[in-house]
Amino acid sequence: MLFWLILFFPLLGAFLNGLVLRKVSPTVSHILGTSALIAAFVCALLTYLQFLAGGGQAQVITGMEWIEAGTFKAPFNFILDRLSGLMLLIITGIGSLIHIYAGGYMHEEKATYRFFSYLNLFVFMMLLLVLGDNLLVMFIGWEGVGLCSYLLIGYWYEDDKNAAAGMKAFLVNRIGDIGFLLGIFLTFKYFHTVSFSELKQMILSAGAQLNGEQIEAIGWITLALFVGACGKSAQMPLYVWLPDAMAGPTPVSALIHAATMVTAGIYMMTRLNFLFYLAPTTQMIVASVGAVTALFAATIALVQYDIKKVLAYSTVSQLGYMVLGCGVGAYSAGVFHLFTHACFKALLFLGAGSVIVAMHHKQDMREMGGLRKYMPVTHLVMLIGVLAIIGFPGLSGFFSKDEILWRAWTGGDQYHIQWGLGALAAVCTSFYMVRLLMLTFYGKNRSDHHTQEHLHETSVVMWGPLVVLAILSAAVGYLNVPHIIHIPGLTNLLFEHYLDPVISIPPQVAEHWHHLHAEYPQSLEWAIMAVSVAGMAISSLLAISMYSNGFGRIANSLGSAFKGAHRVLTNKYYVDEFYDSYIVTPLRDMSQFLWKVVDVLIIDGIVNGVGQAFMLIGGLSSFRMSGSLHRHGMVMVVGIICMLTVLFF
Amino acid sequence: MVSINHYLVLATFMFLCGTLGVLFRRNLLLVLMSIELMLNSVNLVFVSGSRLLGNLDGQVMVFFIITVAACEAGVGLAMVIALFRRYGTVDTNFLRILRG
Repeated sequence: MLFWLILFFPLLGAFLNGLVLRKVSPTVSHILGTSALIAAFVCALLTYLQFLAGGGQAQVITGMEWIEAGTFKAPFNFILDRLSGLMLLIITGIGSLIHIYAGGYMHEEKATYRFFSYLNLFVFMMLLLVLGDNLLVMFIGWEGVGLCSYLLIGYWYEDDKNAAAGMKAFLVNRIGDIGFLLGIFLTFKYFHTVSFSELKQMILSAGAQLNGEQIEAIGWITLALFVGACGKSAQMPLYVWLPDAMAGPTPVSALIHAATMVTAGIYMMTRLNFLFYLAPTTQMIVASVGAVTALFAATIALVQYDIKKVLAYSTVSQLGYMVLGCGVGAYSAGVFHLFTHACFKALLFLGAGSVIVAMHHKQDMREMGGLRKYMPVTHLVMLIGVLAIIGFPGLSGFFSKDEILWRAWTGGDQYHIQWGLGALAAVCTSFYMVRLLMLTFYGKNRSDHHTQEHLHETSVVMWGPLVVLAILSAAVGYLNVPHIIHIPGLTNLLFEHYLDPVISIPPQVAEHWHHLHAEYPQSLEWAIMAVSVAGMAISSLLAISMYSNGFGRIANSLGSAFKGAHRVLTNKYYVDEFYDSYIVTPLRDMSQFLWKVVDVLIIDGIVNGVGQAFMLIGGLSSFRMSGSLHRHGMVMVVGIICMLTVLFF
Repeated sequence: MVSINHYLVLATFMFLCGTLGVLFRRNLLLVLMSIELMLNSVNLVFVSGSRLLGNLDGQVMVFFIITVAACEAGVGLAMVIALFRRYGTVDTNFLRILRG
């Protein structure tokens, strides 16, 4: 019962806000939307505690029948296990905080009922995505969150740019969805089920030996599903929609494009980890794509001026880490980073949102600076968020990111390149995050007089959630303290083993993944950690020295010394331009051709031509139609007489 | 003695009159009346056949035909009136809108 309420409350909130209470004041729609989520969070928490008290065994909750055709069955069943339980808490918990914050952020808006309705609907769809026990229910959620993302990116749709950004997100995600759909089809074709629990049982049961065809199919299935994950989780080469998605309101960026929706790909791969373990080639591709994305996006973030753009590329980069974690087989590390990232990236986005509100919706960091004086609370929480993301020892990012890098290094020789890319990305991360902090909060204020006059700390509705998120960002890392650091009392909390019931390496490939459970010398782990911390420290110090007072001499001279590189980075490697000229334009030209030539000229030509041909032929003989009643009657009578004559004589 | 043949000849004569009327009269009203004449010649054949064979089938049929003919006349006259309103004439030489 409690379980169903988790799903029910956000849907109810969306329904009431969107369809029933459209004329109420923004405050009412805010309270309604937020209380729906808080209620869902309470239910989720109680359900989760109940679930843990019950032993933490995965359970399938039977819903209604949905599709049944022959052997194909896809009922609305839900799965509650440690993974989906954790996701439940992240989505409803962080979602609640962001909803509270959104009330402050959006209080000048008129049509907030629309905003909160979409936001609640998003949470419902996201819950459907993580709770569904089969690929098809997950796909509903998958598409549903995509729809809500589209609607919310284009929330200020009067501006064409925002609408275009929403469309871009939607279209790029379609490419990924094709992969996801193909994965579903192939799964059913070769395993005759799309249910996660049945699939897992089938793959893992010792009796069922998979035949060669199925093993080969798994390679393609996982690859197709990974294409889907690439779309949703903004990996190369489909990441281009996420930076543009920042056109939406900042709470949306925090909830959808940082904390929850974009992690759906990682969640899906973790859910199907037993399949991915069976496909080492796919895993290799996954790890490589993740590592390359992590570095690629991090380098772009180095030179961006828009505060939200920096965070957007940072999100892409962090998602790359998670994907890298999945790729090297360390799913729990990936999910752990998902968890910590949800906390600190939501914090960073919301903090940036506060700054944007204080700056009267200016997002350019060149106009900021010195905000520490005006916004002490925001400065403090942003500082914690930045320290968390750059992996400052003791904060959450340190534990989760290092875990992934450690797993990448120990994954064997073939993963050392990925480790190198990841470590380099970590160096870039600390540079651009410290740069963001410095440009925004330190130095002299560079905004114009009018803006400067109105700079002030935001209301408690906005900084309250930030404080909670800051505490989370600082604390959640201690759920997974590495072996080598002994903290009394925390050894049992190891997140690494939390997901053990969910993550299962099939016996056939146990040998291939043995390194995940192997013992390594402590010195190696210390060394890897030292490399990360040293890189972080050096690049942070560099960023501090370069940007402690706006764009210092070093920053400018570096910029002009590496003009070419700087320009390439500022223009995001020209990827958008590349896509535009080699994919979008040819596609549009082809569509124009199909429309103007194939459709209008050929198909319409044939259809109209047939009609015109009949008209022409008819015209040739129509001179016989005099329209004279008498002549027609005469012909008829003569004809009848002739027929009768023939008949009787 | 009036035999069946007399009736049939009379009916044929009426039918031909009607046909010629349909074919050669230019006034639509007269064309309609000629059609009535043709119908009635058929009725005459039915009635005389009925008499010859000694049952009532033909006479029953005639009742139906008279009923239908009444309807047909009503519809036909309405159409003629409509045509007159539309074109101001019922002369078939001027009503040639179906010319190809």
